Amino acid sequence: MSRAGRRGTRLTSVWRLVRARWLRRAGSALRWWRSSLQVRVLTITLVIGLVALGLVFAYVGQRTAEGLFKERLAQVLAESARSTSQAQDTFTYSTAATPAEAQQLLSDVTTAQRTGGSGSRDVFLLRAPGQTTSMSGGAAVTAPELVGLISPELKAALTDGKQHWQSVGRPTSADAAADGTGAPVLDAPGAIGPVVPAVVVGQEVSVPVVGTYQMFFLYPLDAEQRRLDFLLGTLALAAGALVLLLAATTWLVTRQTVSPVRRAAQVAERLANGHLTERLPERGEDEMATLARSFNEMAASLQDQIRRLEDLSALQRRFVSDVSHELRTPLTTVRMAGEMIYAARDSFEPAVKRSAELLSTQLDRFEDLLADLLEISRFDAGAATLDAEGRDVREVVLRVVDNVAPLAARKGSWLAIDLPESRAVADIDPRRVERICRNLLVNAIEHAEGSDVEVRVAADASAVAVVVRDRGIGMTPDQVAHVFDRFWRADPARARTTGGTGLGLAIAMEDARLHGGWLEAWGRPGRGASFRLTLPRRAGMTLTSSPLDLVPAEPERAPATPSVRAPGTDPAALPQWGAEPDRQEVP
Amino acid sequence: MKGRVLVVDDDTALAEMIGIVLRSEGFEPAFCEDGDSALGAFRSTQPDLVLLDLMLPGKDGYEVCRQIRAESGVPIVMLTAKSDTVDVVLGLEAGADDYISKPFKPKELVARVRARLRRSDEPAPEHLAIGDLTIDVPGHRVARDGEPISLTPLEFDLLVALARKPWQVFTREVLLEKVWGYRHAADTRLVNVHVQRLRSKIEHDPEKPEIVVTVRGVGYKAGATTT
Repeated sequence: MSRAGRRGTRLTSVWRLVRARWLRRAGSALRWWRSSLQVRVLTITLVIGLVALGLVFAYVGQRTAEGLFKERLAQVLAESARSTSQAQDTFTYSTAATPAEAQQLLSDVTTAQRTGGSGSRDVFLLRAPGQTTSMSGGAAVTAPELVGLISPELKAALTDGKQHWQSVGRPTSADAAADGTGAPVLDAPGAIGPVVPAVVVGQEVSVPVVGTYQMFFLYPLDAEQRRLDFLLGTLALAAGALVLLLAATTWLVTRQTVSPVRRAAQVAERLANGHLTERLPERGEDEMATLARSFNEMAASLQDQIRRLEDLSALQRRFVSDVSHELRTPLTTVRMAGEMIYAARDSFEPAVKRSAELLSTQLDRFEDLLADLLEISRFDAGAATLDAEGRDVREVVLRVVDNVAPLAARKGSWLAIDLPESRAVADIDPRRVERICRNLLVNAIEHAEGSDVEVRVAADASAVAVVVRDRGIGMTPDQVAHVFDRFWRADPARARTTGGTGLGLAIAMEDARLHGGWLEAWGRPGRGASFRLTLPRRAGMTLTSSPLDLVPAEPERAPATPSVRAPGTDPAALPQWGAEPDRQEVP
Repeated sequence: MKGRVLVVDDDTALAEMIGIVLRSEGFEPAFCEDGDSALGAFRSTQPDLVLLDLMLPGKDGYEVCRQIRAESGVPIVMLTAKSDTVDVVLGLEAGADDYISKPFKPKELVARVRARLRRSDEPAPEHLAIGDLTIDVPGHRVARDGEPISLTPLEFDLLVALARKPWQVFTREVLLEKVWGYRHAADTRLVNVHVQRLRSKIEHDPEKPEIVVTVRGVGYKAGATTT
């Protein structure tokens, strides 16, 4: 029981193995089938060719066999009719008077007739069924073992006195039908040796003294069978050669079609990789040459298009540069005039004085907006370049913190700075990274609503990260998705106090991208927002992870702090090193 | 402290406005409206400083800058509306000492002009050595083996700043403050370009500098004194 079970499991595991191997093989064959047009065409051609040849083969074989048989049958029938009448003549003119003499006569006739025809034949003289005469001369046969081949139906049919025939299978081994049961040998072909087709022809003859006899001739058709076999063999050989020829032709023809297509695919790939001058050779006038020509025309038009786009891009860059010059020069004059007027404002009437003040502040705003617009258009034109150098990110962050500290103080926010002990050097463009950090910090302070703003810097082997976190109004996930959009505002109704241009975060994003870095945002309404800048340490490296988490591990920490103190009033309660709002230093 | 300033700018409104500002600060402005006549105006006015717009009709600002530099070490401050790296670096390489991006405030302009006109009036005769060079600070002369080397005032100031404290590594920011007079962090490309220019004049092989040495990731320092 247990052994049977073991064997069962072993069998199933073997079966699984076999099945897996088969599936794999089938899979690879399927892939081959799918990936190669040539294989597919060849296979289909071969299958169709084989089926057609099989049908032809069957038809020709059938027709030939039929023709051969009919021809031989006619010959056999004529010959046996002649032999039968000859035997009848012998019987008619014989002088036999006793059964013994009749018996002798019968055996003489069979022996004589055996060799009388074309080829070898067996002769049987059997008593007709239903004889009433008591006298019997017995039977005379040349092959007693084959008597069983003569069926009772044939015997019964002969009583009308005409010639009848029947197809039989003749065993070739001697002891084949010797059991004497009389059963047709055809019924049990498995028990005996090879069977050759044969024809039995019979007719009644009347023999003196002993009455009516039935005379049978057994003609084997093995010669015809051999001819048929030879013919079919030759035909099969020719068919095989034809199939091979067909396969070779198909292979060659498909290769002629497929190889230009393959070449076109290769060239298309090179084009896609930026080798715009790549072309296909154009030879001849056929469809392949047309393909090559159309392909080359397409490539030329693509190249043309790309060149035009490049020209356009250069033109746009030029335009940005020109616009920047054209706009900035008058702005400079206006700006200086405004400053002069502003400096003299105390000598004006109150209304003119206020106008001078408004002029001055709005000129600042206009200048910022123009600067940001030009920066963005420079990114769009692809004209922004990275002047990377190895810099300590901590220093950049500290400088920014110094710059925004007065703003934080005005807004009543505390700045908490957490810097790593060791240098966090990365290949950065300090001007751009400084701008990113300033944008993030100003944005955080603006939205912190007087709560703390934390700045954290960390570095690992491959990246440096800066996280700026506030606990102000926060953002919904929907707002987070738009926060880097140009001129996008979380709440249009919100009073604009520090007067950002609406482009700060969009520019920060472009700056981060230029470094190959990440800039990501997180926010929850009421819980504040978090921005993370991650920069690769070496220019050109691809980022895979960041040394800092973007989403703060809030739930563990949150309950403890607000209950103890009002947020933003006690620096000691901050988890990180806290700083005076107007002065920061490295701890 | 007061001096003559040549303003080369094709925008007459801006030139006039600059003139008003400079005059109110006690400078004496002179004007030129195109590139072709700039050199002539420079020769006739003999200014102490040139304010040069980069985009000019006729010869462009870079060319004018090169021509003036070829015959004088007078401080040149570019006025540029193009803060793109290439434009600024091209201007600095053409020989400008400093640049101001438009739009600028009057105070900024005056501060930059003052910084470039400031003369180190240390009275004490001071002789410094850096590499195989000798520097006569009050005389504004640099020589190698008695052969004088011609430097612009800015290049001279840069070299003196490094030579005075040969044990110290100067970051680019510190050099900007000491030599250019920037109090806030500014464009460190100024330092890079001028160090290159200085090296091309004083080093035996500017590709392998021995007098002004780069300290990677930090800044520059003076090379060892060999004399």
